[in-house]
Amino acid sequence: MKRNRTLAAAALAATLALTVSACGGHKGGTTGDSAGAKGAAGFNAAVDKVVNASDKKGGTLNLWSSTDVDSLDPGRAYYASVWNFERFYARTLLAFDGKPGKDGLKLVPDLASAQPEISADGKTYTFKLKSGLKYEDGSVITSKDIKYGIERVFAQDVISGGPTYLINELDQGQGYKGPYTDTDPNKLGLKSVATPDDSTIVFTLAKPNSDFPYLLAMGSASPVPQKLDTGAKYGDKPVSSGPYKFKSVDPGKGYELVRNENWDPASDPFRKALPDSVKLTITTNADDMDSRLLAGTADLDWGQTGLSQAAQAKVLQDNALKDNTDDAYNGFIRYVSIVPKVAPFDNIHCRNAVLYAADTTALQTARGGSVAGSLFGSMLPPNILGSDDYDPYGLTKGKPNLDKAKDELKQCGKPDGFKTTVAVRGNKAKEVNSAVALQTALKAINIDVTVDQYDGKLISSVIGAPDVVHSKNYGLIVMGWGADYPTGSGYLQPLVDGRFITSNGNNNFSEINDPAINGLFDQAAAEKDPAKAADLYKQVNHKVVDGAYYLPIVADKALNYRNPRLTNVYITDAFGEVDFQALGVSDGK
Amino acid sequence: MLVYVFRRLVNVVFMLLVVAAVTFGIFFMVPKLTGSDPALLYVGKIADKAAVEGIRHKMGLDKSIIEQFWLFLKGIFVGRDFNAGVDVTHCSAPCLGYSFKTEREVWPLLLDRVGVDFSLAVGASILWVVLGTGTGVVSALRRGTLLDRITMTGALAGVSLPMYFTGLVALAVFANNLGWFPNNYTDFADDPLLWFEGLVLPWITLAFLFAATYARLSRATLLDVLGEDYIRTARAKGLAEPVVIGKHAMRSTLTPILTIFGMDLGGLLGGAVLTEKTFNLRGLGYEAVTSIASSDLPVIMGVTLFAAFFIIMANLLVDMLYAVVDPRVRLG
Amino acid sequence: MTTPTETTGPAAGAEPEANSAAAVAKKIEGRSPGRIAWDRLKRDKVALAGGAVVILLILAAIFAPVLTALFGHPVDQPHPDQINPDLGLPKGSFGGINSDFLLGVDPTFGRDVFSRILYGARISLLVAFLAATVSVLIGVVMGIMAGYFGGWVDSVISRVMDVLLAFPQLLFSIALVSVMPNSLLGLNDTGVRVLVLVVVIGFFGWPYIGRIVRGQALSLREREFVDAARSLGAGKAHILFRELLPNLVAPILVYATLIIPTNILNEAALSFLGAGVRPPTPSWGQMLSDAVAIYQSDPTYMVVPGLAIFITVLAFNLFGDGLRDALDPKGN
Repeated sequence: MKRNRTLAAAALAATLALTVSACGGHKGGTTGDSAGAKGAAGFNAAVDKVVNASDKKGGTLNLWSSTDVDSLDPGRAYYASVWNFERFYARTLLAFDGKPGKDGLKLVPDLASAQPEISADGKTYTFKLKSGLKYEDGSVITSKDIKYGIERVFAQDVISGGPTYLINELDQGQGYKGPYTDTDPNKLGLKSVATPDDSTIVFTLAKPNSDFPYLLAMGSASPVPQKLDTGAKYGDKPVSSGPYKFKSVDPGKGYELVRNENWDPASDPFRKALPDSVKLTITTNADDMDSRLLAGTADLDWGQTGLSQAAQAKVLQDNALKDNTDDAYNGFIRYVSIVPKVAPFDNIHCRNAVLYAADTTALQTARGGSVAGSLFGSMLPPNILGSDDYDPYGLTKGKPNLDKAKDELKQCGKPDGFKTTVAVRGNKAKEVNSAVALQTALKAINIDVTVDQYDGKLISSVIGAPDVVHSKNYGLIVMGWGADYPTGSGYLQPLVDGRFITSNGNNNFSEINDPAINGLFDQAAAEKDPAKAADLYKQVNHKVVDGAYYLPIVADKALNYRNPRLTNVYITDAFGEVDFQALGVSDGK
Repeated sequence: MLVYVFRRLVNVVFMLLVVAAVTFGIFFMVPKLTGSDPALLYVGKIADKAAVEGIRHKMGLDKSIIEQFWLFLKGIFVGRDFNAGVDVTHCSAPCLGYSFKTEREVWPLLLDRVGVDFSLAVGASILWVVLGTGTGVVSALRRGTLLDRITMTGALAGVSLPMYFTGLVALAVFANNLGWFPNNYTDFADDPLLWFEGLVLPWITLAFLFAATYARLSRATLLDVLGEDYIRTARAKGLAEPVVIGKHAMRSTLTPILTIFGMDLGGLLGGAVLTEKTFNLRGLGYEAVTSIASSDLPVIMGVTLFAAFFIIMANLLVDMLYAVVDPRVRLG
Repeated sequence: MTTPTETTGPAAGAEPEANSAAAVAKKIEGRSPGRIAWDRLKRDKVALAGGAVVILLILAAIFAPVLTALFGHPVDQPHPDQINPDLGLPKGSFGGINSDFLLGVDPTFGRDVFSRILYGARISLLVAFLAATVSVLIGVVMGIMAGYFGGWVDSVISRVMDVLLAFPQLLFSIALVSVMPNSLLGLNDTGVRVLVLVVVIGFFGWPYIGRIVRGQALSLREREFVDAARSLGAGKAHILFRELLPNLVAPILVYATLIIPTNILNEAALSFLGAGVRPPTPSWGQMLSDAVAIYQSDPTYMVVPGLAIFITVLAFNLFGDGLRDALDPKGN
């Protein structure tokens, strides 16, 4: 028994060397190996096209997860999977189209009858609602409910945890504290949003922002009927405006959605609503979940975080199984921030030295190898418009350039190296591994790195507090970031716009405050043409890379398994995950 | 007897109070000392100062620690109200607090989780008491034989093995390689057979560890007892050996067994952290570790108190049982 | 074990055997116990073997840098050439064991497991010995005071011991470690963690020895030689530490030897749960915890630290048992 195992492992290692390396580089559909075995769609088939297109209704979609939802309340959720899941029960004015790959980034009118009317100065957005829209209880969805839903987010002491972009955009100095303390009799006291009638809603911004529609596509801008709002406990029973409603909510155990008969398919631009019910089962046993997936008794990993190591090894050695997997970008870049405010990184040559000395292959291995992410040279992930292969430091070559690194050290005036500290979340094994790998790599040029593991719960008050970063001498910070909405500013602005630096909860760890970069964001915000905006983001990205503020480790990927019985499987770039709402089951069970 | 029981009960309440106060003190004070703010843990990616203030107020963290502790204690006896924004959530007695992370009361959560630990503890304890004491007694009676040596070597190995290691090996061999048992837990209510199958490995692993201790203890105690005068007297009286052992010696042997049994059972009921982690069971221990990882203070408090309650009650029961088992014990 | 306050669990669960040793120790007083014990110990081959392994382990831990330089590789040095880059697992069978890497390499980095086990032994033994010292120091002082003075001193100390034993120790320890800062009193991260482990394990361990010592002191204080010292006008400190303490050396010694393996298991358990020293500093529990995710594909990485713990704990237990038997005339 033991012997078989080890022989198999050796054989596996040999096969893998051949197969996996072939798909390390770019996303790009099938890599050609053994597609079509047992009618399976093939490795990476769902990355940019629809696998098993079908309109067959019925059955139960069995989603499994080893992580519980953070909240089902659309105003309080921040997990990408919950945002994706919300498409079953929370409609928004605009929503991401149900299409594979980049096509999924497009916003289509959902509750709105058409794209908004935008005033000439770009500050006023007027939406008309479709008629006959109903909640699960049959009551009508009005523009006031959308306004109320947005207002809830302002009550951050009650509706905490979700995105707060709308507050920044719509408060405009009013100091609005949410509907629960609102003195307005209708609890609709937020001034920047007007609802002249039940089917019209008008947003007035302080300055133009071409990304504003994306903020309205988040669940935190979905309608909530005031009568049925239960405040902090709304997540126990969110009122559905979509094709499914909650039958049961059992935190830590599972959730079940059943058809919402009051949802009108004719009013919906893309939702398929194929299965009769959707079950999300929470387990603490990731191995068990993976064996269920491979056995076909579970349909999909809801968290979309990739198979566990054991299952991954099994899948990669078996082409029939591998054909049911996708290894897609999930929109995250893992990186190390280099902090210029901490000496000697105030000198760009010292920052350059780190970039040249970094052993990117070792860093990639520390995160789980090529399956878990591709080497990447810049700071705009592949699923966002404006992303390119820019790599002036040759990071994607996978080898450190020690000569250059030593030369940079000399120019920095530190030919004999220096000491610094890398901050890393102690509860993230992959990040700790990355920090240790970086420590080892930098030793080669005599940079002596201390690894400081801080409590991962305290991001906002440790690495998110510039004062703390300075006082603790964190020259390097290991982190990762995924966009909250898929545009260049959605991804980059919190990381590199100097005006986003805060004393607590900061994400611009490098404290980049370059007027040229800030100006480019403003230009992009005023730019109505996404292609032109994308070009501006590309410029921002290049400037950030040239400034040597970041050492990108990998563009994250996750190897996910899809049950062959699933229909309409595709990965949408909007979430970097399979689009849950489109799924059906071919056997009707 | 009644006076004694009453005194012990007062003692139980006192101990629980101290445990509660110490736990409360540490988890509400230490964040202050290290400068981390619990309220910050409850806001999202982008923290907003007003929101942090609001959450601090909602959680009652703006009150003095004495007042917070008082409210906590009061909640246990008369219940308490938590503001959920729109309407007020009433947490009825015994209210062990309210988790702002999950927007849930702690007490029902604990009741929900304790089932796993109960299943685990009952099954395993039956196994280990029977096996452990049995082999211990046989070993003592067959002292010096090969059997004695083999079982005692096994027992020594048993107490020297970390249970999570034995557990992992058991999982690797019996669940993953041979596929005899599932490697996941099913609620008894869902499927009794799967419940049983899923618990076989945890039961055996735990029982192996404890049985080893019990075997060593019961052997040593029985040997001690057999050397006592009253046993010699009993034998001298011409009593049959089974009567001497079964009626006289076993009584005294049971006393220390009962003592550690009370502690062990109480400890397991209050959360078997290592077993739960090894076998992916979601009991109190799992809940405790998760809540510690997410700094969910009310849940940490709840589990600690709950666990302490089991340990203390188990001890109390054991003390009462002494009166029955060991006539030498006088309750005064 | 005849008064209700004491029945709450003498050495409950942990090392009940120490009890009988303690009970017996008084019988050998005044008969040059050291000589007798040594003669007995010399005849116990198994115990001597255990003792030899213990000494070897201690030497291995002390000379870990030398041993790794001779037979291994620097403890934190990665060997990417030993790792399959796509799986992050060691190349070759049995966790990458070969003539260069005696116990294979760890996953992801390919660090030398032989070196990491040796350095892990340092942490393990250091924590176990220091924590045992803490337990013994506090336990002896408290136990003697409680036993000798009786009255309210005894009540207070006994109560404190009761409360400590009622704490869910493992839960509490993890929670406490999780709120500790990274640097404290000039110690680095590993230093702080070791300190916290020592304090937590040592502090929760003292009531066990405290109870034993208290019981002994209680009976000794009425003895003639104590009366004699008192009537000669000896001070309290003199009676406590010059008259009573020497008579307690035997049980304390046995207990200290037997608490060390328990401490090793505790340290490993805390590390297994993520509350031990942090990577890249290696520890056995941490290695086992890492192995949980990959034991199906790389079982060697699970077995090696598991066996390290087992062998170490077993050796200490064998030696401790032998020592106890040697001090116990009935035990043979």
